[in-house]
Amino acid sequence: MSEIGTSIPNVTVRGPEVPRNIQALDPVFNVSGLSVFYGDYAAVRGVDMVIGNREITAMIGPSGCGKSTVLRCFNRMNDLIPGARAAGKITYHGEDLYGDHVDPIEVRRRIGMVFQKPNPFPKSIYDNIAYGPRVNGRKKGMDGIVEEALTKAALWDEVKDKLKQNALSLSGGQQQRLCIARAIAVRPEVILMDEPCSALDPIATTKIEDLMQELSRDYTIVIVTHNMQQAARVSDRTAFFTAEVDDSGVRHGRLVEYDETSRIFTNPSDKRTEDYITGRFG
Amino acid sequence: MASTSKATVPGGPSLGRSRPRYGELIIKVILVLAAAVSVATTIGIVAALLEPTIEFFGTVSVVEFFTSIEWGPLFSPPSFGVLPIVVATLLVTIIAMIVAIPLGLAAAIYLSEYAKPRVRKIIKPVLEVLAGIPTVVFGFFALTFVTPLLRDFLPFTLDYRNALSGGLVVGVMIIPTVASLAEDAMSAVPNSLREGAYALASSRMIVSLRVVLPAALSGIIAAIILAFSRAIGETMIVVIATGGRSIFTMNPAREMDTMASFIARAGSGDVPVGSIEYKTIFAVGALLFIMTFLMNYVSAKVVRRYREAYE
Amino acid sequence: MTVLTSIGKAASPGPRQLAGRRRPVRETVFLIALQFSLVIAIAFLAVLLAYVISKGWARLDPRLWENMPSIRRPENAGAQSAIVGTIYLMGLTALFVIPTGVLAAIYLEEYADRDKWYNRLLELNIQNLAGIPSIVYGILGLGIIARVIGLGFGLITGALTLALLVLPVVIISAREAIRAVPPSIREGSLALGATQWQTIYRQVLPSSIPGIATGSILALSRAIGEAAPLVMLGAATFVAFNPESLTDGFTALPLQIYNWIGQSRPEFGVLASSAIVVLLALLLVMNSVAILLRNRYQKRW
Repeated sequence: MSEIGTSIPNVTVRGPEVPRNIQALDPVFNVSGLSVFYGDYAAVRGVDMVIGNREITAMIGPSGCGKSTVLRCFNRMNDLIPGARAAGKITYHGEDLYGDHVDPIEVRRRIGMVFQKPNPFPKSIYDNIAYGPRVNGRKKGMDGIVEEALTKAALWDEVKDKLKQNALSLSGGQQQRLCIARAIAVRPEVILMDEPCSALDPIATTKIEDLMQELSRDYTIVIVTHNMQQAARVSDRTAFFTAEVDDSGVRHGRLVEYDETSRIFTNPSDKRTEDYITGRFG
Repeated sequence: MASTSKATVPGGPSLGRSRPRYGELIIKVILVLAAAVSVATTIGIVAALLEPTIEFFGTVSVVEFFTSIEWGPLFSPPSFGVLPIVVATLLVTIIAMIVAIPLGLAAAIYLSEYAKPRVRKIIKPVLEVLAGIPTVVFGFFALTFVTPLLRDFLPFTLDYRNALSGGLVVGVMIIPTVASLAEDAMSAVPNSLREGAYALASSRMIVSLRVVLPAALSGIIAAIILAFSRAIGETMIVVIATGGRSIFTMNPAREMDTMASFIARAGSGDVPVGSIEYKTIFAVGALLFIMTFLMNYVSAKVVRRYREAYE
Repeated sequence: MTVLTSIGKAASPGPRQLAGRRRPVRETVFLIALQFSLVIAIAFLAVLLAYVISKGWARLDPRLWENMPSIRRPENAGAQSAIVGTIYLMGLTALFVIPTGVLAAIYLEEYADRDKWYNRLLELNIQNLAGIPSIVYGILGLGIIARVIGLGFGLITGALTLALLVLPVVIISAREAIRAVPPSIREGSLALGATQWQTIYRQVLPSSIPGIATGSILALSRAIGEAAPLVMLGAATFVAFNPESLTDGFTALPLQIYNWIGQSRPEFGVLASSAIVVLLALLLVMNSVAILLRNRYQKRW
């Protein structure tokens, strides 16, 4: 088994040894039997997982395996897609995320999101950060919020002299950190990241990864990535998804294995995970 | 979103709505109302046409309306055979289409298949300007410039107002409609089709005529139908340069009344409200509305089919 | 094709070249035919403009905007009431049509579920309205707005009729402008806990305003060039006063032009030409503003 670990020499695994028992986590999200449908088509079936407080959880797997779909259930962004429907149960601190009383807007205030492509608003840097607090009804103390958010996102020093400049004038990596700062400014508990580095160069990627480590002290982070190295570098736990074809020839995503990152990358219990990690995946 | 279980609200802040958002609901209602104005417009048009038209057919028999070739609702004794103005309308429209189809399609082929971006940048605005000229200006031009010009060149005599110059100028007016819609359809033809043909050593003309034109055919037909419907309903050019006496003729050199020009002239005159002459305006309006409605409908159907073919 | 053949020539210097025969005659004839068609359309436009301007130039003096229309004394006649009427009509039409059109466009783009039959019907209806002849809108103005609703034959009826006439144009262009705002902007805003309306009001609308403005100006320029619906409202008689209230009788430039065309004395033909020049100048200004807006604020994503 150690054979597999040595076959990926560049991977360094982070974090202290956490006990393997998933139930022992301080759970933020508890997902059980989650399936997501687009119309009649089930994009993902039967996902069970627990996301721990102030941990970084990575979701990896080949494209089309439904990892982004699952991520977008956590802040109910899937609501925006006509015909999308979630079955099963996701609880957030024990509260059913899809309960009748739940307001998706309230959900998104608590659970922030950063997207694949940086999507700053065509406004000034300052207004980008202030946007979230403003739409949430805050009027005073905006300067402090902006500075704090930009500082946490490790962007303050780079932009403090040009806060009135259009955010689109920043580089791609800066734009993505701005988007992270924008999410932080709302003071969420959780930050969801959907392949946040896929549009960035390696240097910008490193900066974002360092930032994630930093942020995981205060925030619960769930990240979808197609980059295994990234998952191995930054995450505490890793969920491996794959696409399966069922008897009737329909493709759908499935969660294959969910465990501590160190274990997924050195000693996976499922053959499919092992094949994917070692690059033998078709 | 379906939820499979009842919510359990724990202690601590709930994910429920922190404050009610009536504003969002009110705004949605306002938006729906704004969108409903368009529906109200259609209902208003149908309502405006329906009652006087029904009353009209209470006095005038449907058979007379559609078969008689005597049209003179404002004369005494009045006559209500709609055929002369329908024929005149079609005559003007056909003359217009004879101008607009070849010129519009040629412009579309040139813009889509031949023109360099720089040339397109000049020609497209020119067509837009042409489309933006008020029709009363076209009418003035037809009456005071085109007709005298035609009189100098043509071997036969032309009435002061006549179907020919009205039709020609209506034709020029709808060139931009044909050209821009047909060009849209041709631009939507995938490049792979063109490349396939070029790879077989086809010339640009062959590719335009044998590959692009057939592939864009339904879009082009839709463009032509739409232009046809615009020509049928065109009022000012015709009322200025063509319209007047209504005689049953197919001679384009003669003065004649079309449906639209009849409505405009009768509507602007001193026709007493509620009289049979007044109701005639609405009956002709209803006929014009139905004709253009059917053509727009067919055109939209055809467009949808070609969209489906490429999407 | 010529590029291809010339490359072929350079690449294979042997006796059997790829240069081929000259371009066949029919190709050349075809291309000339295409260009000739365009030349006809462009020449028509040029001759029209030259004719109108040369004919109207002599009478293009302050009398035109200082004096009121007259049928008896063409040397003193002007078009002041028509110019003022057109400006009032434009303002009122804008007031009615822009908010309605933009709000309807927001509903269709941001709220309407396209799987619902009533929303599909709404779209079909707007398409159909865009194709109804303007004279039929005149019947709507005459039969419903003036008589049934009872607003009479004043400025407000004219403006409402024109507003309904160009409503589809405003809706269609505003929808395009709204659709051009990338979905990632909406997602970014919603993910920060903004409500749908906050997202639309603070992100989508500001980004689509140049497009909406361009479309609205073009729609208005169509409205002020229209004569047919106003003819139906009996606005074609000589109006020798500027409207002072919403229900006052009025005239407008296209109507005044139509009126003068109908007069037999040649001086009125000249007057019509000068009024046309004024109308075209107004349209030119509006279109230039629209094009300027379109080029200046073309989006940078």
